[in-house]
Amino acid sequence: MNNLTIVGKKIPKRDAPLKATGSAVYIQDLKIPGMLHGKILYSKYPHARITGLDTSMAEKLPGVRAVVTASDMPANFRIGVMKDNPPLKTGKVLSIRDEIAAVAAISPEIAEEALSLIKVEYEELPGTFDPLEAMKEGAPLIHEEAKSNILKMPWKLVCGDVEAAKKESAFIVEDTFSTPWVTHCCLGTSGCVAQLDAKNNLTLYSNTQIPSLAQNDYIEALNAFGLKGKRVRIVQSVIGGAFGSKLDTYAYEYIAILLALKTRKPVKIVFSREEEFFATSPRQCTITKISHGCDKEGRLTFREMEMVLDNGAYTSWGATTPSVMMLPISSLYKVPNVKYVAKCVYTNNTYSQAMRGYGNPQATFAIESSLDQLAEKAGIDPYELRLKNANEPGEITPQRFKITSCGMKECIDEVVKRLDWKGKKGKGGNRGVGMASLIHVGGGARVYKSDGCGTIIKMDDFGKVDVFTGASDIGQGSETIIAQIVAEVLGIPIDDVNVINNDTDICPWDVGVHASRTTFVAGNAALGAAKKIKAQILEIAAKLLEEEPASLDIKNGVVFSVKNSEKTIPLGKALRKLHYTLGGNMLMAEYFYDPANENFDKEFKGNLSVSYAYGAHGVEVEVDRETGKVKILNYIAAHDVGKAINPMLLEGQIYGGGLMGLGYALGEKMIYEKGYLKNGNFLDYKMPTVKDIPPVQAVIVETDEKDGPFGAKGIGEPGLVPTAPAIANAIYDAVGVRIKDLPITPEKVLAALREKEGQTHK
Amino acid sequence: MRGYEYFKPKTIEEAIKLMGSIEGAQYIAGGTDVMVMLRQKKIAPRCMISLRNISDLSYIDTNDGLRIGSAATHSAIEENEYIKRRYCALNDATTHLGSRQIRNVATIGGNICNAAPSADTACPLLVLDARAIIVGPKGSRELALDDFFLGPGKTALEKGEIVKEFVMPRFDESTGSAYIKHTRRQAMDLPILGIAARITISVKSGSEVRCKDMFCTIDSISNILSRLKEEGMRCVDARIAMGVVAPRPIRAKKAEAALTGKIISPELFEEIGDIAAGEAQPRDSIRGEAWYRREMIRVLVKRALIKSIDRVIRPDEAIYPERLW
Ligand SMILES: Cc1cc2nc3c(=O)[nH]c(=O)nc-3n(C[C@H](O)[C@H](O)[C@H](O)COP(=O)(O)OP(=O)(O)OC[C@H]3O[C@@H](n4cnc5c(N)ncnc54)[C@H](O)[C@@H]3O)c2cc1C
Repeated sequence: MNNLTIVGKKIPKRDAPLKATGSAVYIQDLKIPGMLHGKILYSKYPHARITGLDTSMAEKLPGVRAVVTASDMPANFRIGVMKDNPPLKTGKVLSIRDEIAAVAAISPEIAEEALSLIKVEYEELPGTFDPLEAMKEGAPLIHEEAKSNILKMPWKLVCGDVEAAKKESAFIVEDTFSTPWVTHCCLGTSGCVAQLDAKNNLTLYSNTQIPSLAQNDYIEALNAFGLKGKRVRIVQSVIGGAFGSKLDTYAYEYIAILLALKTRKPVKIVFSREEEFFATSPRQCTITKISHGCDKEGRLTFREMEMVLDNGAYTSWGATTPSVMMLPISSLYKVPNVKYVAKCVYTNNTYSQAMRGYGNPQATFAIESSLDQLAEKAGIDPYELRLKNANEPGEITPQRFKITSCGMKECIDEVVKRLDWKGKKGKGGNRGVGMASLIHVGGGARVYKSDGCGTIIKMDDFGKVDVFTGASDIGQGSETIIAQIVAEVLGIPIDDVNVINNDTDICPWDVGVHASRTTFVAGNAALGAAKKIKAQILEIAAKLLEEEPASLDIKNGVVFSVKNSEKTIPLGKALRKLHYTLGGNMLMAEYFYDPANENFDKEFKGNLSVSYAYGAHGVEVEVDRETGKVKILNYIAAHDVGKAINPMLLEGQIYGGGLMGLGYALGEKMIYEKGYLKNGNFLDYKMPTVKDIPPVQAVIVETDEKDGPFGAKGIGEPGLVPTAPAIANAIYDAVGVRIKDLPITPEKVLAALREKEGQTHK
Repeated sequence: MRGYEYFKPKTIEEAIKLMGSIEGAQYIAGGTDVMVMLRQKKIAPRCMISLRNISDLSYIDTNDGLRIGSAATHSAIEENEYIKRRYCALNDATTHLGSRQIRNVATIGGNICNAAPSADTACPLLVLDARAIIVGPKGSRELALDDFFLGPGKTALEKGEIVKEFVMPRFDESTGSAYIKHTRRQAMDLPILGIAARITISVKSGSEVRCKDMFCTIDSISNILSRLKEEGMRCVDARIAMGVVAPRPIRAKKAEAALTGKIISPELFEEIGDIAAGEAQPRDSIRGEAWYRREMIRVLVKRALIKSIDRVIRPDEAIYPERLW
């Protein structure tokens, strides 16, 4: 562990030159001989009955090869978590992203023109756009067959006795917080190419982040088409960002398959930027009621939260984010009594999906804002309140998480020190400081029955290795991390490690890129496979060098004896001897790593992850009292990562996460009015630009996680979790107004300031 | 997107002739507005006539006042040292327009002729008394910029006419100007509100302004204004223009009149802000609420004026003291 030569080093991302020079092949770039282009016709209204559909004109347009509607899809074929979403809709449309028909043509322009020739007649219906309205008795039903708009997915966590704790609390605060829809803004828009061979085996070129699970979804789809027992191969092109958006399979992919079946040609569907905004699934918006209590000394006594999530018209993974929200709700700081209830409600809005943090940012915004309110009420410095209640190694939380390594206090201390908290807190002058912490899964997350990932390693004739991993690189850099781990174990240069990670025909199984699990789970799988093959190499070299395997090691691709430095053999030579011998052999090893974590039980309790990631963010802001604008003067992001396998990539995750959090806090919001998206473009969707990046200090706290590869824990998601509440808390410190509804726009700050001064703003 | 023919005339006359001979033709300069409209299917020209190959349309001439060829890019304007010092409002606008990539191709002519209520160079040109020199099939004419804008996307240009250049008078050392673009982002953003100001000042019996140093402190604007009042600073001439508060960029003429000839004071600036706000008709949109825009007029008119004064009395630190304005 001490003499690491590759792990722990700042090594640039392997794919960076490809991307910087424009030679990476994204799904947009992919061309397959004979390929057709597919386009989708979406609903004009958020809620309407389709009374007529005529595709005859479109079919007649020269260059059009197929036009499909719901009647071409297998009846009753539904997709999504609750199987409530037909890929092509008929009868009623329930949102503006409802797919009604699709076209395959010889060019995207012709396909587009064909769409304009499809005649749809609608009878517009009144829509339901407010989840609180939709929950009421007698509200119009979104799905008529369901008895209620409330999704049959009841989320409820009870630990201890909140009611009793309330009676014993010295201080209690209660408030309501809300968060908007925000979208991933992947630079690479969604897309796929579906291709069927003569026997109807499917190859789907895709940018999914769940190749193995998607394979299963498409097999189900082929079954529904009556094509039983077919093979499905997923080939991933270079993925231009995912952030959770590609964690499910979508209607457009099934439509591409249908069009490929109809035309017997490969069919490509790639989203325009406009489609990427309105037809992909954002982070869910939430309304959260929270109350928090502590005793006289500031020890937390209880936390109670009640949440309503707008589910939109259909159900994808967004509906399951309350499971991850439970993580901070039950276990961010030591809080003995916890109650949490969440309801997802169908509306005629867009439906949601996983997005970096998976619910954690929404929950943490409420928790960490409320905690500052509690500190003020109890007359304790918010920093001391946090430190007093901070999580510690060895703790078992109310939800039964077993905390192993935990650097929460160190992170809080780093923030306090680097921000000059004591010198700056409460000093006025329109400047203020704020902080917020986070807990997230850091050692996988058993959300499926398995949390596993496989790795295969084979050696070539020259001492170089091919690593086949189930883990996808969606831009986060897993390819580089896996190469580092394998190179470190085998004692070979990193350039001698080739990572293959994009083809289900050759890569082993994995549950996907989610839950910040890839470095931890795929890293451990690569570590296991590398150790196995190293043992085999040493065995062979031992024979050739007439030594004991135990006294051999590898460095720079050469096997050597630790006892007698004269005795060496280059790896390539040893392998060639193995291959070119009568009755020879080859070297290959495989390893499947499935962490020893637990599924939640029926009460949503259990040790979801084998380790937990911690962090704390601190921010200094200046508020312009006349305009309501908030300027970030300093930003500290301290993260307990176990061990930084690659500090450069790690800092990249922290900066990237922080910036995404900044957008969430101060600018980003998908503006839906009566079911229509009003700002589906980068001009009006206020994602921060490079010029909006404040000075960010990424602080890496290493706690050496015993189960992590080289001690590492996950860091993919944590970077954005505490950003919004840290900023909200700093604004409160600066000017005494608390914004409880994200994003914190200048309008809201100014209106709150006016209200505080007893003026009206309008 | 349908195909279109693309012409690259070498002279203005050739361009005008082409325009007269082809039905459904469209002038294109940097194309940063045209291509967007094309993609949004707001226009479907059969032919594009590029103005980029016309020699002598992208000059910046500072010999007597300022003449800017309509095909000058925002980058070229932004980098011009003379404009930086003497036509600060225009420099403010060009440095904050779009992004570097946009500024490298987008032109001032395109920005003005596209006539968006949010066009960043419009308010600066209005306060700098710019005149447009227009060439067309019937010869050339000159128009004050205030008479150029008719409404969103609508200008006084007649069929086939091209703006050749913008001409601005010379301003002496007692004149300063500024443009404040109020946005949510630092780049790639259109203004929620744009305010430009120009002010010519005189100080009692030609003496130096003594409270100069206050401009680089964090003292409040009203304190600084009080000192200026004590020192008897007078506004000799003023212009105020506002973007995104009406169907076209407008001048706040009542506010200008109320300011001209007066001794500068905190009370006066409050009043000017109120008058300017009264001259605007801001609307609610997803980009900003009307009440907020109106409030910001009050704040930013004040700030743009004091920033202009700052530039008169501290010309050597002209480009941007780290202050809220
Ligand atoms: C990403 C992006 C960001 C942007 N950000 C900003 C911003 O921050 N602020 C802002 O104000 N604008 C912004 N714009 C809009 C645009 O860049 C500017 O308006 C630019 O100045 C237009 O100039 P152009 O040369 O590209 O015009 P073009 O698109 O070529 O032309 C625009 C219009 O003017 C006409 N035209 C051009 N030149 C002449 C001429 N000499 N005589 C007669 N008619 C003429 C054309 O026929 C066309 O109708 C942005 C655009 C994009 C794409």
